[in-house]
Amino acid sequence: MKLTDNVLEIRDLVKDFPGVRAVNNVSFDIKRNTVHCLVGENGAGKSTLIKILTGASMRSGGKVLLNGEDYWAHNPKEAKQKGISTLFQELNVVDQLTVEENLTLGMEDTTFGFLRKTDKINKMVSVMNSLEPSINPRQKVSTLSVAKKQIVEIAKAVATESDIIIMDEPTAAISESEIARLFKIVKGLRDKNVTVIYISHRLDEIFELGDYVTVMRDGRHIDTKPVADIKDRSELIRMMIGKTVFEEYTPKEGACKDAILQVKNLSNHKLKDISFDVHEGEIVGFYGLVGAGKTELARAIYGIDDYEGEIIFKGRRLPPSPDKAIEAGIALVPEERRSQGLFTILTIRGNVPVMNMKKISINGFINSSQERKVTREYIDALRIATSSTEKEASKLSGGNQQKVVFAKCLFADAGLLMLDEPTRGIDVGAKSEIYGIIRRLSAEGKSIMIFSSELPEIMNICDSIYLLYDGSLKATMRNGCDIDSEKIIHIVTGGDVTSGDRPNATEYRGRGD
Amino acid sequence: MNVKSGKQESLRAQIDRADAARANIKNLYIYVILVLIVVVFSVVKLGQVEMFGRGHFLSPDSIVNLLRSAVPIMTLSGAFTLLMISGYIDLSVGSAMSLSAVVFAWLILNGFAFLPALLITVILGIAMGYLNGFLVMKLRITPVIATLVTLSIFKGIALLIVPDGLSAIKGSAERIMPAWINDYGRKDVILGLPWAFFVALAVIAVLVIVQKRTIVGKYAAAIGGNRTSAELSGINAVKWVWVLYVVVGLFAAFAGVARASYMSLGDPLSGDGMELDCIIAVLLGGTAFSGGEGSVAKTIIGALIIMCVTTGLMTVIPAFWQTVAKGSVLLFAVVLNHLLVREKVTA
Amino acid sequence: METKQRHTIGRSISNESFISIFMVGVLVVLFAVACAFVPNFYLPKNMINLITNNWFVIILGIGVTFLLITGNFDLSVGGTIALTGVLSAYFCQAANVSQNALANGLGLPYGVAVGLALLCAMGIGAINAFFIARLKIPSIIITLGTMMLARGIAQVITRGAQRNTSLPDVFGVLGNMSIQGTSIKVSVLIMILLVVLAFIFEKMTVSGRRTYLIGANPVAARLSGIKVGRHLTSLYLISALLAGITGILLASEFKAGVSSRASGYEFDALVISLLGGVSIAGGFGSVLGMFVGAVILSVVTSAATGLLLSPDWQFTLKGVVTFIAILAQRFALDRRKG
Repeated sequence: MKLTDNVLEIRDLVKDFPGVRAVNNVSFDIKRNTVHCLVGENGAGKSTLIKILTGASMRSGGKVLLNGEDYWAHNPKEAKQKGISTLFQELNVVDQLTVEENLTLGMEDTTFGFLRKTDKINKMVSVMNSLEPSINPRQKVSTLSVAKKQIVEIAKAVATESDIIIMDEPTAAISESEIARLFKIVKGLRDKNVTVIYISHRLDEIFELGDYVTVMRDGRHIDTKPVADIKDRSELIRMMIGKTVFEEYTPKEGACKDAILQVKNLSNHKLKDISFDVHEGEIVGFYGLVGAGKTELARAIYGIDDYEGEIIFKGRRLPPSPDKAIEAGIALVPEERRSQGLFTILTIRGNVPVMNMKKISINGFINSSQERKVTREYIDALRIATSSTEKEASKLSGGNQQKVVFAKCLFADAGLLMLDEPTRGIDVGAKSEIYGIIRRLSAEGKSIMIFSSELPEIMNICDSIYLLYDGSLKATMRNGCDIDSEKIIHIVTGGDVTSGDRPNATEYRGRGD
Repeated sequence: MNVKSGKQESLRAQIDRADAARANIKNLYIYVILVLIVVVFSVVKLGQVEMFGRGHFLSPDSIVNLLRSAVPIMTLSGAFTLLMISGYIDLSVGSAMSLSAVVFAWLILNGFAFLPALLITVILGIAMGYLNGFLVMKLRITPVIATLVTLSIFKGIALLIVPDGLSAIKGSAERIMPAWINDYGRKDVILGLPWAFFVALAVIAVLVIVQKRTIVGKYAAAIGGNRTSAELSGINAVKWVWVLYVVVGLFAAFAGVARASYMSLGDPLSGDGMELDCIIAVLLGGTAFSGGEGSVAKTIIGALIIMCVTTGLMTVIPAFWQTVAKGSVLLFAVVLNHLLVREKVTA
Repeated sequence: METKQRHTIGRSISNESFISIFMVGVLVVLFAVACAFVPNFYLPKNMINLITNNWFVIILGIGVTFLLITGNFDLSVGGTIALTGVLSAYFCQAANVSQNALANGLGLPYGVAVGLALLCAMGIGAINAFFIARLKIPSIIITLGTMMLARGIAQVITRGAQRNTSLPDVFGVLGNMSIQGTSIKVSVLIMILLVVLAFIFEKMTVSGRRTYLIGANPVAARLSGIKVGRHLTSLYLISALLAGITGILLASEFKAGVSSRASGYEFDALVISLLGGVSIAGGFGSVLGMFVGAVILSVVTSAATGLLLSPDWQFTLKGVVTFIAILAQRFALDRRKG
């Protein structure tokens, strides 16, 4: 096999989903033994591209050449065998085994089934040691920190002579000092004949680590350049967001209403001292990229995760449990609609009334006709595409499934709705329908908190915007005044908040305080 | 900064020491329990019997009896542990053992020599394990339900083989059960213990080694610990768990042979409750119910504890206390296991 | 956009109803086969017996089915029957009448004895609930333990035998009572009543609906405000109570509290629930299906008896029938979806 200059060549790659082209004729090269960064906003197509490389998804068109040869992986195992390893956020190690056992998993040398201590093991351990000598190969992986588990995974990929290691937001869950160590390791991988594809929204990391960077936007390839040729963050940001025209946002009229939710000094394993207010009838957006803490914030308020701090809702302390939150008047549209929001084996009618059964029952007995009527009302109001209330939820499209979850939460008559990634994976038509629904609800006096990693979404409908990065609230701004989207990206990718620039800007609190 | 790191250092040292202490408890508690049980039963009747004398818990007769009755669970629980480590369960082991006992006794009664009879029974055991593996791994029926179904079927077949009117396959006026049937499971070879006991010891030794030093043990832990990771690393989970089911069936057959040999008859109810004993042993031994962790050696100690409790209690309390005692032991083992083992978090 | 209600049989009935109807079809087929091959099977008396012989397993099946729908087992019900029966005898046996310890009880009035015995049954349910709902330990293990605990206590109280002496006359009334002028036992009537109530619960109450929700997606259930732990606790208490009622009735019928009563009934309850279409994956099943499953089981076992097969065939038959049912249901549902 001749070693080409480019370890990976992507040519006119296309990926279609029903109703949307997620990857649109993308072409670029990845040079061997470099750290090649991949950036782009949510929905830019990065994750789909990566899924094609890792075998989790099949391409619809175009070519991928690995080491000059046609590459196709039907599943992650095949991808790994062909030389592309991936480090996901869900760690892929067996906690109950030792480091050594994990390194050799699937590749043991055996005599009649007996595990042998061979050179192969020593080689792998030495690879591990060269990356991080403080890890004892005999210790159980469960005793390692997340950062060290990542290193074990990297060591395994290197020792199995992967050509490419894809790292997907690896720094989301590790501390600063561990990040520094990871960077050293990543840089060193170039000397070990490994190419790293590094996906991150933390632009500082791109500048520190990357040799090349590819920017994607709206499914298209925007540019691939050596990092050295990029002047500064702004240039990169401009490439990422281009000339995005946001829909006209109409500022709300009327006097400022009372605060319906007051969050004070909220902290937990992810969140750092967050404080803010939500006012009646307000649509508040929480914007941040992966790992910023959006879902953790929603979960803490809803009472699923523990926290320290105070949450006051409608003037009273909010008890930390979902059923009490719902009783008090908060409803959550969860991040994962299939596994958290819906009862997929039940019908639409089975799903909609769940959070407020009182309204369709008398003395504990369900009023079927009321139930059907209510379901039909919501199907009509939200324009859920179905001919019957009896359609199984699992058979609906993503957009319609999300509408069912919405219906569920709306039926709870909540005064405050929390929407976690409300339009993720939904086609454009359904998206704008959902935005219309949200605006209508706000007009009716409901308060809405949107947690999203899609900037246009936040910009279109939110009255106030809170920016999250790494568990902290970095800045707040009112929509309608001149919003500088570059500045926003700058902040949510870890940039410094210059004080005095904006009203109500929150100071960045360093770690270790 | 230095002061802070100094404080962090001593905090780290404290945490490490606590971890080490916890690890020590995790490894030693079971020996402590075993010793306690033995002591309690040795002491409890000291007013009436002499220490080490006749009727005492630690008298030679009593110990030999205990070890002889422990042969089936000793043979079986090691393989059971391996299966549990991979995250799967087999509730049919008791019936598989009974069926094996019945078949073995039938073969001996009908003229087969020991080794051929043993061989045939073992093949039956393998077949039973294969069936379980098929239902669970290929047809993907929940292990509990699948093995309850096979429990029913094996028990049924065992009952059907025994002719109507008899309670077991045994010798009669027309056809005598050859006396040498006892040679394996009952006859004194060394120190009063039969061949079956030493075979059980060998089985345990083999399985301990298998768990700690072979690919079977490692893969069982990998599959039980994180099946996705294991499969991503190229491990064929379906194949390996199927193998474990077969191994369990194999040793269930051995256990049945030992029991039939000991009792000189094939009792279709002889294995009843064996799955419960195995579960208690496994729980006491610190195996996680969701898989990934476990120890054959500790399960065996757990099995010994149950045998001591069962036989010891028989000398102290009337027979009708046995069930409630066993139920309490099970719940105790559950609580103990719950405190000791941190179950892996699923989603 | 108007929504239309489609009333075609093929689409608008739920999957549960589909499976129940499917199993009724299976029942009819099996029944026909039995009539063809078993002498004297086709007798009205026989057919009624098919339903009434199993009344105790059906009552147990109610609790077991609901718990299976949530993804949990309850194997303790057989032991609870024994315990409640024995306690109901012990509590109302005359005090201090005999040298024989087994003939002496606490001398309480029958009504009080029954009430106390049922409370103890619910105690078993409470133990189940604590370990399963609170500590989240797998239900298969816990209920095996409580099964032994319950039966074990019954054995201790009866010294491994039974308590059948010094009982007040009223003790034998409930279990042997028949409706005026008919031969339908009150127990059977209670069973039918409970099944009807259970069906209403399942189809028409909020609490019944919650059972399905918890089974279908426990995470979503919690996020939707359902108090999962509390609900499971209620189900385990109900299951224990149902077993307790059955125990009282059986003890009354046989005028004795027997420690070996109901051996294996928990397994039969599981079998009829599975035959009725319950999926252990959760969120799917019906007591009506369970009832059909009970009749199917009756047909199979009485056909076996009618064919002069020894009772030893029961185990094998139950296992095989369950297995075939699981596969058949899976097949039928797959065909329906695809």
